[in-house]
Amino acid sequence: MNFTNLQIQTENLPKVEGLVLKPISKSYFKIIMLNKLAIYAGLIGLVFGLKYVIEKKEEVQLNLYYMLSAVVVFCIFNFIVSLLAFKKRKYAMREHDVVYAKGLIVHSITTVPISRIQHVEESRSWLARYFGLSTLKIFTAGEAGSDLSIKGLPHLEAKQMKEIISDKVNGNN
Amino acid sequence: METTDFSQPIRQSSKGIIIIFAFNTFNFFKKFFVLFIAFGVSIMRRKTFGGITPTMMLLGLVAVLIIILIIAILKYLNFKFYLNKDDFHLATGIINKDNTIIPKSKIQNVYIKQNFLQQLINVVSVKIETAGDKKSEIEISALDKPTALLLKKKLFTKATIENDQEEYIDDTEVFFKVTPKRLLLEGLSQNHFKSFLLIFTFAFGLYNEFKDFLEALELEKHIDDFVKLDEHTILNLIITNVIIVVVVILISFLFSVVKTFIINFNLEVVEHQKTIEINKGLFNKVSLSLTPSRIQNLVITTNRVKQYFNLHSLSVKQAMVNVKQQKNFKIVALEKEQLNYLVNKLLITYNGEGEPGKPRPYFMRISALEMLVFGIVINGLSVFFFGVQMLLINTIFIPFAVLYVYFAFKKAYYIISDDFVTIGSGVIDTTTNILEIHKIQAVKIKQTIFQNRRRIASVVISTASKSVTIPYVSKSEALAIYNFLLFKVESQDKDWM
Repeated sequence: MNFTNLQIQTENLPKVEGLVLKPISKSYFKIIMLNKLAIYAGLIGLVFGLKYVIEKKEEVQLNLYYMLSAVVVFCIFNFIVSLLAFKKRKYAMREHDVVYAKGLIVHSITTVPISRIQHVEESRSWLARYFGLSTLKIFTAGEAGSDLSIKGLPHLEAKQMKEIISDKVNGNN
Repeated sequence: METTDFSQPIRQSSKGIIIIFAFNTFNFFKKFFVLFIAFGVSIMRRKTFGGITPTMMLLGLVAVLIIILIIAILKYLNFKFYLNKDDFHLATGIINKDNTIIPKSKIQNVYIKQNFLQQLINVVSVKIETAGDKKSEIEISALDKPTALLLKKKLFTKATIENDQEEYIDDTEVFFKVTPKRLLLEGLSQNHFKSFLLIFTFAFGLYNEFKDFLEALELEKHIDDFVKLDEHTILNLIITNVIIVVVVILISFLFSVVKTFIINFNLEVVEHQKTIEINKGLFNKVSLSLTPSRIQNLVITTNRVKQYFNLHSLSVKQAMVNVKQQKNFKIVALEKEQLNYLVNKLLITYNGEGEPGKPRPYFMRISALEMLVFGIVINGLSVFFFGVQMLLINTIFIPFAVLYVYFAFKKAYYIISDDFVTIGSGVIDTTTNILEIHKIQAVKIKQTIFQNRRRIASVVISTASKSVTIPYVSKSEALAIYNFLLFKVESQDKDWM
């Protein structure tokens, strides 16, 4: 009934910490990289644009190099964080649940029991299709917070996972 | 008493035309409000607008109203519903015909509501909610009350247990009825910070509007005197300020009390065999049923003052109820025994026992950090707007911040028993969150990069209605909770709904 009782029990419970989580497909990093590069290009373009507009209107000299280097430093920092964060994106499927871990600065491990899944969806953007990847979306009845979206799975594996989950969900009902 | 036969397609009460008409007119004016103002102003100024005279405008308005009326009548004529053994059928639509069928077993909730207009012409609206998305809500806007009640009962009784119906009626009893005195106390003892802030900003806005006017009253001079630190004017100023604060506090009290009265007027909890019914409201009368199996979370709130008066509120969170409706599932001004009785009725085996766990002291560090950020913002703003003297605000703020951190930590705890998770939190209010373990939808461990070194983590537990957090426990404890909850959910074959 109480928590101390539980402490003894926990020895026998299936443990999430002992679980070997599988990293997502490496080629998903290429997609992240492409997206990031587009954003960085946009940012740097913005700096030039801003300089152009402001200097034309007012007689203010903006130091282009300061601004540019600030933006570049931000981009590099952002890139390093997303590279490290990428390595944290891991997933696993157990008999009764799906586990997904992600995040560098705020790391989270979410587990959704299969019996609580309402439906599964496998979606692919054109970029993901090119790299042979797909996103597995798992919806529960809860608020948006309890839904899972595992990005960057190899297409075949996503399909298999979807089949397995669908089968289990339908079997339970 | 004549009973309505639901097995044949019927229309709602003919008064429904009025309701639909009023509703559509209101919506129409709401949508084109800005346009009307613009037109009105330009016509006032120039007497004509592009060759349109006020008479033509008036005629146009009448024409629009007539069109809305015709639409309302057509809508009414094309709105038919009927019940058969297990489904509710509804046909709507003037040009595009819609046919909706809802199986009785999928109905989440049936509300009976009565807004001001509906009270005037003595009809009620029935709202049927399913577990699907918001579009699947159905509202029948005008039925007379006996019909509505009968419909509600028919919707809830499944074909198989039709025989038990009489027993079902006999077992109802009014369990709790709020007295005006307790409502008054409830209103007075509310957390006034919100209404205070609201009114304060309102007053501040007004002040900015009438700034010129006030300047004419030579307030500027008073402020100058204040800087000079003349004893007499300081006293005056302090008195004025105290009066202002007292007035604002009084207004916010009044505001809370009136609000509480309007929302919870004649609050009544009726106990049925299996369900609980809530009736309340002054202008908007609502009647809701609670079914224990649909409940996802229970939230109990009280505060120091309320505890003294023995006032507790119970919010019931259900799956997929929209935010506006969510507020209605709150029962206020309950006594402790009544509260316990209700909780036990809704969660049968709950007893609140178990060994409470506390968050790590790290919790205080985070609260303190939050307060620090808040303090910096407040100081920055006040110095920016009112000058350096406003740093005096810290004499109030610092004790407040210390108390905030202290109480936030003191009130935070969690209990995990075999079937329930109880989480306590709050600073001014004391909030207790109860959920049944088998209703959990997902569990999450959250940890920032800084907490990783200290081996601290938080557990977020999501149900179909909301997520609750067990904040900042040690990593091993978090993992133990995590594994235990998952084990419980997965090993039992209990449905969440």
